[in-house]
Amino acid sequence: MNPNPSLYSRRGFLSTSLGTAGAGLVLAAPNILRAAETGGSDAIHVALVGFGKQGEVLFNCLKNIPGLRFQAVCDISKNSINKFRSQSRGMANAEGAKFYEDIDDMLSKEQGLDAAVIATPDFWHSPHTVRCLEAGLHVYCEKMMSNTIDGARAMVHAMEKTGKLCQIGHQRRSNPRYLFTYNRLINGEKICGQIVNVNGQWNRSLGASQDIGGAKLAKSIIVPDDVLKRYGFKDMHQYLNWRVYRDLSGGPISDLGAHQIDIFNWFLGTTPKRVYATGGNSYFKNREHFDNVMCLFDYDTPQGEVRAFYQVLTTTSYGLGFYESFMGTEASIRISEIASTSAIYRESGDHVPEWDSLVERGFLVKKPAPPKPESSEGAVAAYESAAPDVYELPGSFAKPAHQPHLENFFAAVRGEATLNCDARHAFESEAPIFWVNPSALSHQPIELTSEHLSV
Amino acid sequence: MSDTANDAASGTTPKLAFVYSALLLRLWLAVRAIQTGVEKFSGTAKVDGQAVQVDGVANTEGLTTVATSKAYALANYHGVPEALMKKFQEEPLMLKFALPLYDKLLGPALLILGLTILLGVAYRTSLFLLGLLYISLTWGLILINQSDGVAWLGTHMLLIVGALVLAEHNRLAIMKKW
Repeated sequence: MNPNPSLYSRRGFLSTSLGTAGAGLVLAAPNILRAAETGGSDAIHVALVGFGKQGEVLFNCLKNIPGLRFQAVCDISKNSINKFRSQSRGMANAEGAKFYEDIDDMLSKEQGLDAAVIATPDFWHSPHTVRCLEAGLHVYCEKMMSNTIDGARAMVHAMEKTGKLCQIGHQRRSNPRYLFTYNRLINGEKICGQIVNVNGQWNRSLGASQDIGGAKLAKSIIVPDDVLKRYGFKDMHQYLNWRVYRDLSGGPISDLGAHQIDIFNWFLGTTPKRVYATGGNSYFKNREHFDNVMCLFDYDTPQGEVRAFYQVLTTTSYGLGFYESFMGTEASIRISEIASTSAIYRESGDHVPEWDSLVERGFLVKKPAPPKPESSEGAVAAYESAAPDVYELPGSFAKPAHQPHLENFFAAVRGEATLNCDARHAFESEAPIFWVNPSALSHQPIELTSEHLSV
Repeated sequence: MSDTANDAASGTTPKLAFVYSALLLRLWLAVRAIQTGVEKFSGTAKVDGQAVQVDGVANTEGLTTVATSKAYALANYHGVPEALMKKFQEEPLMLKFALPLYDKLLGPALLILGLTILLGVAYRTSLFLLGLLYISLTWGLILINQSDGVAWLGTHMLLIVGALVLAEHNRLAIMKKW
C-alpha cells in the first residue's frame, strides 16, 4: 500500500495494479462461479475491509443475511480483529476466517472471494474499492465515496471497466419507508403537488461530537506508530478522529450531510445548478473542518425551481436531530430514518384534494389532530394559516437501518436484483457535496456545471 | 382458656410471626434484586409483521406492520441507564474511571446477591452487601439531585435493616454461616 495517501496517484495506481489484479482474476475464479460449476454451496464469500465502528454496524446486519460466508477480515488494528473474533464466535459461517492488516496481502492470498464490504476511513474508500473491483470482487463501500471528487470518479471508472457491482452505502435508498415515500406518495400519487422547497439537517449534540479517545488511551486500542504511518495516519488522534482532518475526510457536510443531500437529489430526480454555503469553526476552534455548515442549493426540476436548505451542526441536537423535508403546494413530507420523527402534512385549502381515499386504499394513516394552539394576542388573523392535517406512513420495517441496502447488494450479486445505489448514481448524487466546502471557504456561490458534476 | 393455654399461645405465636416476617422480607428483597438484575438485560425487539396492503395488494417496497415486544438478551445489557450515565459523567465528584466498571458489575451483582438472599447463602453478609450496593446507588442519585429515587432507596435500606434484625428467625437457609 502507498504509505502516503495524499501522494496517491489514481493513474499510477491503475497502471501498477491492473497486472496483479488480472492475475488474481485468472487464478481465483469467484466462488459463485465455482459453486455453479460444482453444484455445491452457493454461499457468497465475503471479505470485510475495515472493522471499526461502522464495520461493526454493517456486520450486525450481515449476520442476519443468509447465504454469506465471512472468509477474511482486513483491519490495521489488532483490537478490531479481536472484536470480530469475539462477535463472530459460534457463527459457523465465520469459522476459519483469515485476518489481514494489508488489503493487497489479503487479495493476493485469498482465493475465491466474491465480494468485499468496505468500511474504512473515507480517504481509503477509493483505493480499497478500486483494488477490490480490479481483483474481481463485487464491492459494497460505505459513503461518502471518497474524500476527493477524483477518488469518487476512480470508483465509477473501475466499476464500469471491470463490470463488477459497486454499491455505495447510501442506505436510505433501500429503506422501505423511503422507497414507499418516493415511489408511491411523491411520484405515484403526487401528494406534494409542486415541490417548491426542501430542507434537511443533521444536528448532532456537542457530547456526540467530541473527539474520540482521550489523553490516555487503553493499551489494547493503540496501533503502533509504524503501522499508523504506513496507512496514512500521523498519530492515534488522527487515526481515531480522521473525520476532522481535511486530507482524510470531507468533514461534517460530507460525513453527515451526504445522507440528506443524497435524498434531495434522489427525490428531486436531478442535481443542483448552484450552491451557496457558509461555515465556521464556531466551537471546535482547532478542527481543520468546519464544525457547522449551512448551505443553499438551487435546482431546476421538471416541475419548476426548487430551493433546498441544508445545515449540519455539531453543537446541538435541537430540532429533531436529522431529517429531510419536501415542501409542496399540497403537502409536505418530513422523512427520517427515525420513524417517530417522520410525518406527512396535508395543506388546507380548496386546491388540495381530499385524502380520505388514500387512507382507505392503504397509502396513508391519519394521525389524531394535534391540540389547537392558543391564539396569540396581537397576531393578525388574516395572516394565520390553518394547521395542516397530519398523516403517517402505513407501516415501517423491523430490520436494522443498513440491512435492506446490504440485502439489495447481495441480491444483485446473485443476479436477483439491480443495485439501488451503484457507484455512478451515487457519484451523481454526491458530486454537489464536494463543492459545499469550497463555496463556504471562498464565501462565493458556485455554479455547478458538467465539469463539476460529471464523471 | 386456661392460663397455661394462654402462655402457650403467647409464647409460640410471636415466634412464628417473626419467622414469617423474616421469610417475607427475604423473599421481597430477593425478588427485588433478581428482577432488577434481569431487567438490565431487557430490550425492545421489533418484528416484521404482514406486508402493508395498498389497493388490496402487498406493497413491493417492503413496508410491514411492525410489532414491538420486550425481549431479553445478553446483548441488551445496560447496567446504568444511558440517560443517567450521561448525567453521572458530567458530575465533577463522580469517579469517571470507575463508571464503566460499575456499569458492568451492577447487573451481575444484583443477580448474585438476590440469589444468595433467596437461597439463604451467607444471608447476613449478602444483606449487608446489598445494603452497600443501594448506598452506592443512593450516592449517585444524590449527586444528580434525584430526591425521589433517594427516598425510594431509603425504604429499601429500611427493609434490609429489618431483615438483618430478623435474621435470627431466618429458616430454610442453605448456609447459615455469615
